[in-house]
Amino acid sequence: MARYALRRCGWTVVQLAVLSVVVFLLTNLLPGDAATVDFNEQAGLDQVAQLREQMGLDRPLSERFVDWTGSLLTGDLGTSLVGGEPVSEVLSRSVGVTAALAAITLLLLVPLAVVLGLLTGLRAGGRTDRVVSAVTLTLASVPDFVLALLLVGVVSLRLGWLPATWVGADDQWWQRPELFVLPVTVLLARTVGGLSRQIRAGTIASLNAGYTVQARRLGVPPARLVLRHVLPGAAVPGVQELARAGDQLLGGVLVTEAVFAIPGTATALVEAVRNRDVPTVQALTLALAAVACLLNLVADLVGRRLAPRTEVLR
Amino acid sequence: MEPVIEVRGLTARAGTATLLDGIDLTVAPGEVTALVGPSGSGKTTAALALLGEAAPGVRLTGTVSVAGTQVVSAQGPTGSAPAARGRLVAYMPQHPAHALHPARRIGPVLTELARLHRPDSARSRSAAAAHAAVALRTAGLPDGGTIRRRFPHQFSGGQRQRVALAQVLACGPRVVVLDEPSTGLDTVARMRLAGELTRLVDGGITVLLLSHDLDLVRAVAARTVLLARGRVVATGPTEDVLPAEPPPAPPASASGPLPSPEGDSRGEVTALQAHGLSAWIRPGHRGEVLHDVTVGVREGGCTAIVGPSGSGKTVLARCLAGLHERHRGRISLFGESLPVLRHRTPRQIRGVQYVWQEVRNSFDERRTVVEQVARTAVRLRRLSPEAAERRATEVCERLGLAPGDTRRHAASLSGGELQRAALARALLAEPDVLICDEITTALDAASTELVTAELARLRRESHTAVLWIGHDLELVERLADDLVVLDEGTVVESGGCHSVLSSPGSETTRLLLRSRHLGTRSASPSAPAPPDVRGEEEPCP
Repeated sequence: MARYALRRCGWTVVQLAVLSVVVFLLTNLLPGDAATVDFNEQAGLDQVAQLREQMGLDRPLSERFVDWTGSLLTGDLGTSLVGGEPVSEVLSRSVGVTAALAAITLLLLVPLAVVLGLLTGLRAGGRTDRVVSAVTLTLASVPDFVLALLLVGVVSLRLGWLPATWVGADDQWWQRPELFVLPVTVLLARTVGGLSRQIRAGTIASLNAGYTVQARRLGVPPARLVLRHVLPGAAVPGVQELARAGDQLLGGVLVTEAVFAIPGTATALVEAVRNRDVPTVQALTLALAAVACLLNLVADLVGRRLAPRTEVLR
Repeated sequence: MEPVIEVRGLTARAGTATLLDGIDLTVAPGEVTALVGPSGSGKTTAALALLGEAAPGVRLTGTVSVAGTQVVSAQGPTGSAPAARGRLVAYMPQHPAHALHPARRIGPVLTELARLHRPDSARSRSAAAAHAAVALRTAGLPDGGTIRRRFPHQFSGGQRQRVALAQVLACGPRVVVLDEPSTGLDTVARMRLAGELTRLVDGGITVLLLSHDLDLVRAVAARTVLLARGRVVATGPTEDVLPAEPPPAPPASASGPLPSPEGDSRGEVTALQAHGLSAWIRPGHRGEVLHDVTVGVREGGCTAIVGPSGSGKTVLARCLAGLHERHRGRISLFGESLPVLRHRTPRQIRGVQYVWQEVRNSFDERRTVVEQVARTAVRLRRLSPEAAERRATEVCERLGLAPGDTRRHAASLSGGELQRAALARALLAEPDVLICDEITTALDAASTELVTAELARLRRESHTAVLWIGHDLELVERLADDLVVLDEGTVVESGGCHSVLSSPGSETTRLLLRSRHLGTRSASPSAPAPPDVRGEEEPCP
């Protein structure tokens, strides 16, 4: 296990290295650059060239890459081309909200999905299963912007119970929990369906497995049987799905952040792309990718513990 | 003495079929009672009824009481049955590999069971741990801190069986029901099992033994109940029900002449050959379980591999079949080098077929057995599905599986039936080499006869080479012309089958030969366990 963990961590480092190259190349493929965006149409070509030189954009790609990775390794994420502030500041300003949103969603998601998955899996084919499955599947199939707008329309505008946007709550967002209710609901609706389906399928397989049958024959009472014998087997596919949900929550909350005007990483990223603010785009993309890699690393390590037999498959 | 198990008029019906037809059974406390009968005679159904359990779709009627608690009444299983499970009666299934939780270390499961069923352990962790330790020791496993931290897959097949037994014992039941406990055990381990059963009874536990290993039954059981087609046909003291003389083997003519050791069917061309084979089970060349093994099997010949459990027989078979990739050495088929399975051509895959021990997991539960048996011929020999199914039905019938059985799903077939279906599935590829890894462990004598006859026919008519792995030395002697004795992953002896068995040159062979006969109960009531061949056995996947 320790050996596997080490090897898996090593691969994560390789993944991150490859990712940095890909991110750098992709951002350079963006049409135009900060110099062209900064000027209006009347600006002369020589003025743009001058600005480009100032920003260091005229140097060859490889040279810029070496510079960039060099400063990355020393912890310097670069300077924003638009505001002139360090990118790390942009990141720290925006990441808190997104992380809080993702953490709250995950905290609610795991118990909810486990309970729903077990409930439907233990009574597969029954009425509870059909109702819960229908609801979660419907929620998972509704696009999140539709759900978000629907919730805003009904809960905020018609009923006036909860705020519709985060506009005006820039710095005190952690003091206003009511801001989180609608975004978290939308994010949960997106993820709980997939995760609970995986746990449901795992529960059914595990419930009919020989080891569960034997545990029942040895007199393990039902509640204990489910928690200690069925669930460890049922969780295997769930853990991988959870890592995917984590990725989605950190990177893919774009629509949710846009609808509710949440000042998070996705909003910052979109803004940076619009401004061709390459250093910011690179740093934010890389940060999100790194989180995704780490989440999958954790999922693989947990999954390995839940299915230890994989070590002898070859 | 008050009987501990009392069964009156137990009947089990599934649809229109009658699985058990009014059986009566009485088991006295503190002794071993054996339930014997051919496969499909209802042994397991009767044993599960003692737990108040019936397979889906099976209706139980009659009365069953265990230690004064009624678990089955005329209306089926009673409400008090769940409370009896574990505490009063504990069942050990035939295939322990499926009964152990793959993701849980064995120690916590043992203590969990002790805490559930033993009053003194409910509050005290140390008492539960002590019970777990005793259970491991009684089941014949060395009790160390490390062994309790292992996962089931880190044990060999024989050891997993003992882990399952330890789980049963950790519950502290009055009655232990063992379903074919000697399946897949080598002669030494089987003798040790006989000793353990005797010790269990001495410890005050009543044992119901389900087995078609008549030698084992004679060695340990005081009373025997003989079942056939769901009815009790004989019951009484073991020596009356099963006379000490083993039933005469069916005349050779009935099964076709077995090729003589120097027979004409044996070609001089080597079909499958492994040269200097070393294998390890963990990444990075750690945990070496085979050391420089060289074996070969000639066209139309049969090479048997024997050895104590955990000696690396299955790993060797998996290497040859291309399933075990962590190996070094040359494997060749008719002189052509064989890569691992993923890189084999369809022609090479067809050429080497492997039938392994525990086959239930290899059948898809959603398709009929005959469909899956026929699939091999469709995939590897490009037969049409119809032609393949006809061939499949034919081969299955020769192995004693009626078309009605094979049209069913795997879940409704017994272990012995599936074992033969798995053999048929391999045979449909018309392989050049057939690797048989303990393929008769769940078979009764008659079915074993059918299997050996089919193999003899193949060797004679298609010059198929057979690599036979087995514990039953008598069977090995009848089947094989070459013998390789494996111990701790090393070939300790090899040569002509008869010459090795008649004048064994290694200690391992002598030990295996010495323990082949268990004797009868009266002759050796508590056969002392032979010295441990090894403390630690290598896990095998």
